[in-house]
Amino acid sequence: MSLRAPWGTILVALALLGSSSSHTAQPPAQAQAQAQAGYSAPALYNLGNAYARAGKPGLAVLNYERARLLEPNDPDIDANLRHVREAVGLPPESRSRFERMAGIASPRILAWAAVLGLLIAGASMLARWLYPQHRHKLAAATLLGISLVGVTIANGVALWPIMHEAVVVTQTAPVRVSPVPIEEPLFVLPEASIVRVMGEHDAFVLVRTEAGRTGWAQRANLAPILPRRVAADDVSLVITR
Amino acid sequence: MSILRQRVFIASLGIYLFAVAAASTAAPSVDVNIEPHQIEVGESARLTILTSGSGTLSVTLPVVPGLEFRVVGQSRQIQIINGATIESTSTVVRVTADEPGVFTIPGLTPTSPPLVLRVNPSKGGGSSLLGNGAFQGPAPLVPGSSNTNGIHLTPDGSAFVHLEMPKHEIYVGESVPVEIQVGMRDGFVASVNGLPKLNSGDFTLNNLSRQPERAAKAIDGKPFTVYTWRSVLAAVKPGPYSLTFEAPMTIRVRTRPQRDSMLDDLLGDPFLQNIFGTTVPKEVTVTSPAAAIKVLALPTQGRPPDFGGAVGTFKISADISSSKNTAGDPLTLRMHVNGAGNFDRVESSMLRGDAEWKTYEPKATFNPADPIGYRGEKIFEQPLIASQPGTHTVPALNFSYFDPGTRRYETAHSSPLNVTVSPPADSAANEPPPPANSAGADETHGGLRPDHAVSEARVDSLIPPYFQPRFVGFSSVLALLFGGGWIALRRRELNARDTKRQRELARVQLTRTLLERMAAASAAGNAAVFLSSARSALQQALSARWEVAPEQIAEDLIDARLEGADKDDIRQIFALADEANYSGDDLKAADFERWTQIVSRQFSEETTS
Repeated sequence: MSLRAPWGTILVALALLGSSSSHTAQPPAQAQAQAQAGYSAPALYNLGNAYARAGKPGLAVLNYERARLLEPNDPDIDANLRHVREAVGLPPESRSRFERMAGIASPRILAWAAVLGLLIAGASMLARWLYPQHRHKLAAATLLGISLVGVTIANGVALWPIMHEAVVVTQTAPVRVSPVPIEEPLFVLPEASIVRVMGEHDAFVLVRTEAGRTGWAQRANLAPILPRRVAADDVSLVITR
Repeated sequence: MSILRQRVFIASLGIYLFAVAAASTAAPSVDVNIEPHQIEVGESARLTILTSGSGTLSVTLPVVPGLEFRVVGQSRQIQIINGATIESTSTVVRVTADEPGVFTIPGLTPTSPPLVLRVNPSKGGGSSLLGNGAFQGPAPLVPGSSNTNGIHLTPDGSAFVHLEMPKHEIYVGESVPVEIQVGMRDGFVASVNGLPKLNSGDFTLNNLSRQPERAAKAIDGKPFTVYTWRSVLAAVKPGPYSLTFEAPMTIRVRTRPQRDSMLDDLLGDPFLQNIFGTTVPKEVTVTSPAAAIKVLALPTQGRPPDFGGAVGTFKISADISSSKNTAGDPLTLRMHVNGAGNFDRVESSMLRGDAEWKTYEPKATFNPADPIGYRGEKIFEQPLIASQPGTHTVPALNFSYFDPGTRRYETAHSSPLNVTVSPPADSAANEPPPPANSAGADETHGGLRPDHAVSEARVDSLIPPYFQPRFVGFSSVLALLFGGGWIALRRRELNARDTKRQRELARVQLTRTLLERMAAASAAGNAAVFLSSARSALQQALSARWEVAPEQIAEDLIDARLEGADKDDIRQIFALADEANYSGDDLKAADFERWTQIVSRQFSEETTS
């Protein structure tokens, strides 16, 4: 098993352990296996629901956050995420106006919008040389294209911090002043809390909480919202278990 | 007279003081103490004898039954103060107790008080291998030979490595707790240079701790520091074997002849030996005596089909996370395997899925009850889901292992567990399934909104596409293409502007030349040259204004495009220029000036436009 890609292994192992299901949801193990083949917002959302029903709020929040990366404006994802966080005593996430404006559509749509904007802006700028008599109309088209690209860039700026966040997936996550397991923890993170990952050292990650506290937590207690790639041997190991 | 008395008095006083000083130094003092006052059997106390004064003091070591006195060091110091010689001696005596009790050491001089030493029985807590009271009656331990406990010292008696096993006949895969002891005589071994190493590839040994237990022990009255590692040994294949352990260490080797070593033994203190350069460090590998062990193969007869290689003594129990549940919700079935043995081979697939239960792969965790992991509890957790509502029974779980005590395979059973599964509140039999993206709460599961319909559309990564290399590459190529096109068009226009500008500069230069030629012809009265130059200058000026070639500027084009007062005069210049080539008519000076003004006006108009 590769030690360089432990997140995938941890997630798969947790999924195998914490398998749950409902009348409509797939079991987490199956859903996780499907996630290995690709991600979709509904599948991640259903996986989050399954974990929530199985009493694993950390993994539920993790999958809701991942689903929200694909569908930022899905009210069900927001509602269930808020519900699970409140159930474990965590405050609901607050999104700034900039984040709401930047997340008007899914990143996939905005990516294509950026391509379209690039085409419009580029073509109109070239056309201004060829058709100087339509200079004003073409200038407006150029502005429209640049605006589309700008919205996509704003979306990327808003999502960038989320791409470096992680969720506590164990019941507690002790946070220490240095990356060694022997000293007393500074404080303990509750399950399902979200932290910003600022650095890594061996089996520890440097985290910053929403309240601004920093410290080293064990990597095994956290799962990054943006999953790392699972090595091929990890997958085969899980399949053969 | 008075002076004589004075001198006699001073001399008498000096003699008196010298006599007093001599008398004070003549009586040496003795100070004796012992530390500590309380020891265990086999341990030693330090008896220090300090003498101070002039003269020689003979101190005889006392004789106390049960105590051994041995001089380990002596120092002497001489000081001369105000002409007086003061001699101090320090003698260190090691007192070793052979038996418990309260011993009274008589005073070494008539004036010194007796000393009391309390000797407690040895607790023997440092090593179970050597046994309690192993030193209460120490057997003579000859270097290079074994004592009754199997300890085998090196030929110089400085160290030993000892392996302790509870049994010498084991089965393949069976875990056996072992104890490895490395003993080093204090002062004779400089360092241990590595962990003890097993000299056999047919056995596995769990990792040894880098922090072994440390205990001070006396073996044959000599102090040893004993390091103890505990681990688990397992055999890989059957057969008779001979096990040895070895440990690398650095010892101090005597460099003096054997007869002198007797003195070293007498001194005993390696510090003193080092002062006199009697030892040198040497790296050696100390090996334990060979321990014979017989490894038996596991019998094939009676082997259960689900046997997974567990060897030891185990018992199992089972429980479930909840005895009441809703159909579709997961339960966790736990199986506890307690006992002693090779827990790394304790495996179970637990419950197999069927029509009644949907099962998943179990996960195991091991909680050791001792530091070496020989005893403990292994817990298997298996998620399972009841397919249908009703009262279900989780069947008894089985676990098969080989018991080396009974020498046969055993199968442990757990008790069946009953679970009542209720139908879900929103059963599909009674109600239509909730619509996808329904905004209503899922009442069944505590306020969660219902699941979504899963489509086939999936993405490879959660990374936003615009952060993915493919997208960045495509966008970059697109931007480069547009940027390149824009740059190409701009450069083309700039080049065109440059050509036009150069052409204009050439035309201005030519026009200036033509005007100079007109001025020269006017001064010379050469009408033909003047009119020809004027026509050429006008062609240049009008060609720039009308953006046509200068050669195309002729009378018909002037009639068509030129307007204003100068139109007729310019037509006349063109006509006269043609006539002047043939007729050779001369012009008056006023005519030269008039035509020059007309041409200059056209240039000024061109510049203005």
